[in-house]
Amino acid sequence: MSLYPLYNSLRIALFSSIIIFFLGLFLGYWVKKFPKVIKGIFDVILTLPLVLPPTVCGFFLLIIFGPNRPVGKLLLDIGIKIAMDWKGGVIASAIVSFPLMYRTVRGAFEAFDENLAFAGKTLGLSNHYIFWRIRVPACKNGIAAGSVLAFARALGEYGATSMLIGYIPGRTATISTTIYQYWRTNDDKNAWLWVGINLIISALVLIFVNIIENTERGKKNEFSSKY
Amino acid sequence: MKNNKLLFLVASLLMATTLTGCKTGNNTSNSNTNGGDSSSKVSTKTIIVFAAASMTESMNQIKEAFEKEHKNIKITYNFDSSGTLKTQIENGAECDIFISAAQKQMNALDKESGTEGALDFVDHSTRVNLLENKVTLVVPKNNPFNVQSFDDLKKHLTKKTKGFVFGMGNSDVPVGQYTQKILQYLGLNEEELSKSGLISYGSNVKEVTTHVSEGSVSCGTIYATDAYSGKLTVVIEATIEMCGGQVIYPAAIMKNAKNVEETKTFFEYIKGSKASEIFESVLFTPLFK
Repeated sequence: MSLYPLYNSLRIALFSSIIIFFLGLFLGYWVKKFPKVIKGIFDVILTLPLVLPPTVCGFFLLIIFGPNRPVGKLLLDIGIKIAMDWKGGVIASAIVSFPLMYRTVRGAFEAFDENLAFAGKTLGLSNHYIFWRIRVPACKNGIAAGSVLAFARALGEYGATSMLIGYIPGRTATISTTIYQYWRTNDDKNAWLWVGINLIISALVLIFVNIIENTERGKKNEFSSKY
Repeated sequence: MKNNKLLFLVASLLMATTLTGCKTGNNTSNSNTNGGDSSSKVSTKTIIVFAAASMTESMNQIKEAFEKEHKNIKITYNFDSSGTLKTQIENGAECDIFISAAQKQMNALDKESGTEGALDFVDHSTRVNLLENKVTLVVPKNNPFNVQSFDDLKKHLTKKTKGFVFGMGNSDVPVGQYTQKILQYLGLNEEELSKSGLISYGSNVKEVTTHVSEGSVSCGTIYATDAYSGKLTVVIEATIEMCGGQVIYPAAIMKNAKNVEETKTFFEYIKGSKASEIFESVLFTPLFK
């Protein structure tokens, strides 16, 4: 049995999580500063992939990145293959799982005590420093939870991914597309195997999320008992 | 403050579920109104036809012509790979007529076909060989790998040309099964090619067609009819020898068909001359004339 789907899924989930991490931090912070109406519009656009069927995302992605479409062609000309390539999987997973990171991070940032940022400013700290050394550490649990959830979602992405990168064993096959193919071709044994692998990974991720939340609670109790 | 984060997470997830919930709600109410409409015209009967994906264009044209002549009968189609349709029928999907792109899927549902382990869904007395199709090798616009023959395909696959991907149906899809025969005929080892990442598997023939027309794969094997409907460049047709036999589409009425009379009317229609003309127009060879 080839372990390629596991490797490919982890690779796709990891890269898309990295993209989502920075994009989610940036947009979560940036959108928060807008007036209510614009904030609402951005919120809708950035959360849309969460509620849309992944096939709709896949459809748009194909229209953008298909080798015969303008953007896809341009990228191919400079040697970047998106459709039918694992890199396309990174884009598809990133778009579908982005809202999970964005919403969690924005929630965390909104709960952040702005007085801390103002205090930093009166001490002459740069905005850059305040963001990375005060705001992000203060919200680290929300950010971590968002990243882990986005990673888990990216790992399980099927719809948009299968539309954009298809199923090429040894090249674009992920755990979820592999399960589908095994099921379709009546290979229950292998389908079960990959279902098992997927269950284990997902369970580990959720245990991880719980640990983050528990340390959070633990700290809080410690805090209230001290003061 | 800390609780807010969790709250947000829960809220966003809740929002996702509620919104999805709304959508399903709307859908149901839509289909309800449709149902209401048809029942008000007391006599309208619906026939459900499960047909191989490759028949999409021709069957839609036939539906149009048929419904003009028979105002009281409404045709509902389900197009997918014959393997998927077979699984859906096995799992209890309502279906009156089944048209498969290969005998294998029909046999699996036809107890009287004598196939081992066949299920009893098909009314064997109605079963006919309806159409013949051809498997063709197609390429995307500009033919990036200059594939001109099955030998060129073999050359690229054996040399493992960088960037070359061959598109075919998976082993559950009839066109995939015919392609497996072609690969055998060419003396190629599918498993080995697949391990080298040279094969893209589609879950029905339309998916393979889209992969070729979008240029996502370097070339692919699909039916002559799909190449025609998808306006794709056909390099060459596979011979009957290469496919391990003729590409025959069997059709049959199901044993548990609901509106028997109307189902028979439509079944006779697809065997008739008008339907044959439509089938011929997309390059099928009708076996009933």
